[in-house]
Amino acid sequence: MRDQPAAPLVSASGLQKSYGALKVLKGIDLTMKPGERLVVIGPSGGGKSTLLRVMMGLETINGGSVTLAGKPYIRAGATPARTVIDIAVRRSIGMVFQHYTLFPHLNVMQNLILAPCKVRGEKKAKASERAAALLSRFGLGEKLAAYPSQLSGGQKQRVAIARALMLDPKLMLFDEVTSALDPELVGEVEQVILQLAKQDMPMMIVTHDMWFAKNIASRVLFCAGGVIVEDGPPEQVLGSPKEERTRDFIDRVFHIRQ
Amino acid sequence: MNYSFDFQSVTRNLGPLFDGLAVTLQLTVAANAIGLTLGFVLALLLMSPWRLMRLPVTLFVEFFRCTPALVQIIWFFYCVPMLFNVFLGSITMGILALGFNLAAFNAEAYRASIQAVPREQLDAGIALGLNPVQRILYIVLPTAFRASIPVLLTNGIVIFQQSALVAIVAVQDLMYQAKSLATQTYRPIETFSVAALIYFAVSFPVTQLVDYLERRRLAVAG
Amino acid sequence: MDSLDFTVVLRFRDALLQGLSTTLELTLICVVLGCSIGFAVGLARTSTNLVLRNLSSVYVEFFRGTPVLIQLFWIFFCLPLLLGIELSNFASGVIALTLYMGAITSETFRASLKSIGREQYDACVALGLPRWTQITSVVLPQALLRAIPTLLSNCVSLFKESALVSAVGMADLMFIGSNISNNTARPVEVLTVVALIYFVIAFPLTRAVTVIERRILQKLAV
Repeated sequence: MRDQPAAPLVSASGLQKSYGALKVLKGIDLTMKPGERLVVIGPSGGGKSTLLRVMMGLETINGGSVTLAGKPYIRAGATPARTVIDIAVRRSIGMVFQHYTLFPHLNVMQNLILAPCKVRGEKKAKASERAAALLSRFGLGEKLAAYPSQLSGGQKQRVAIARALMLDPKLMLFDEVTSALDPELVGEVEQVILQLAKQDMPMMIVTHDMWFAKNIASRVLFCAGGVIVEDGPPEQVLGSPKEERTRDFIDRVFHIRQ
Repeated sequence: MNYSFDFQSVTRNLGPLFDGLAVTLQLTVAANAIGLTLGFVLALLLMSPWRLMRLPVTLFVEFFRCTPALVQIIWFFYCVPMLFNVFLGSITMGILALGFNLAAFNAEAYRASIQAVPREQLDAGIALGLNPVQRILYIVLPTAFRASIPVLLTNGIVIFQQSALVAIVAVQDLMYQAKSLATQTYRPIETFSVAALIYFAVSFPVTQLVDYLERRRLAVAG
Repeated sequence: MDSLDFTVVLRFRDALLQGLSTTLELTLICVVLGCSIGFAVGLARTSTNLVLRNLSSVYVEFFRGTPVLIQLFWIFFCLPLLLGIELSNFASGVIALTLYMGAITSETFRASLKSIGREQYDACVALGLPRWTQITSVVLPQALLRAIPTLLSNCVSLFKESALVSAVGMADLMFIGSNISNNTARPVEVLTVVALIYFVIAFPLTRAVTVIERRILQKLAV
């Protein structure tokens, strides 16, 4: 199955994004097959978080287009404000952010069932049942009635992942989800993402954690200066990069190349 | 609406209105002088480690913050002469009443901003070997004072508006002159409108300045 | 001076309580009406419609920039002339204080709407929430929650400002208090008690503001 060429899940071409005069994405082409786990690494300001935000449909773009599972999803217009984003397609993508972004006025259960009830018109009882099952799988079975302010950073981030999964996304985006966490809490969040990886959930991950990148990636992109500098299997990009800039970056992160 | 406006009745009588404005400004400036200095002293006393010191000051501050300014002013004008046997000019009385009111509000502003100086700043001061007095002089007060400026300015302009209350006890400020002019000329609409515009012309630039300072502070902090 | 005799006040207990109930009634009416106006104006000030935004700004700046007393006088003396109608002092009191409350609470609502971070909107998009759900389930509940402490202190301000209606002859606590004080020639006792009544109501409310604010911020801290 894996050896057969599968239809691409994501296909982006010529993505450009500027903030004023600053060009953050300078024409990015990218295809992603179903079941792939793409880890995007690179220096700060290199465009990796922006790439994820564009994929989520949070940003307007200056050029290019994206299709998801063959359907047109994002297309640049004459001006950035004219960017066309298909809302229905966007609903099949889930995203988890660096700063949790749970809704602080809702408890854990309410955070999870808000979207299924309001977006899909799911019955509250049924959504609650699914939410409870998901939370207990993530070790949060006791926290259904807790408010975000009563949770640790790691717990908040696991709730945020569960919340995104409630809509059965076809693709999950993780934007530096462990960067705001205390080191001892990083593991529990990464375990949950690894668990999803075992179920072949397609994902794009931006991270600074090279250990995690190595463990989860089926493919690694090195993104710098608004372009994809290197694209390949983790052993290549993290272990023996072909490009000079990738090598410099990896050397600096690991101090010495492994 | 078939009212015919006659703004000349006001423009012919701008003299008394500007005399009134001079009194209003005098009240405002003097009350602010009291409010800024006494308020600071009160704020320090509010944070005193001695309960006996804190209690009366807290009562003073809370009393002024939790009763209407009009009640304070009328109480001051009627009761101070009877209780303490002192008879001062009505403008002086007005200044004192407004000044104490402002001092109470400013004390809270100073206290809040002093207590908002982050703990780490003090820790850094200790780590740099500054003694307690130096820490207060070089770290706490400059930071706190800068943070309190917008609130102090706002309070100052609020007292400018509250100063209109002294008209009720016959201090001849802008409000008082407007009221008597309205009665004399039978032109309340024109008179009160012009008086309101004068108040507005003084307040507005200050509130704009406060908004600007706030925005800049947020921009720096953000 | 004569010794103080607080039994005078007890003789007029019923009249003072009557005045207090008028004050509270007036305050309550204006809290409800003023908050509704304030909410609408707060939304208008964050709107993308330029006309709506400018009109609401002019309203708020004007009411923030002039003394409440002159607003009250304007409505009491001028509005009837302009509209050619009779306006009771209760009605003018309600109008003036409602407009005042509307102006100050609109700033509260505006600030609380602005305090909702960009990430919350991002999360809404990532969850595919429709625009209407974003507003009713995410933005408004948080904004209202955040607004509560400031709204409560706006209510205290209104309660204190309500004493002004005595200046247009409305029989509120202040008005009845100064009448009794004039008739009995016992200003110290009567005015002090009047001040204490205001204090007893306003003080617990201002304390509650601090406590509620801490709880809400704790809950919303993420």
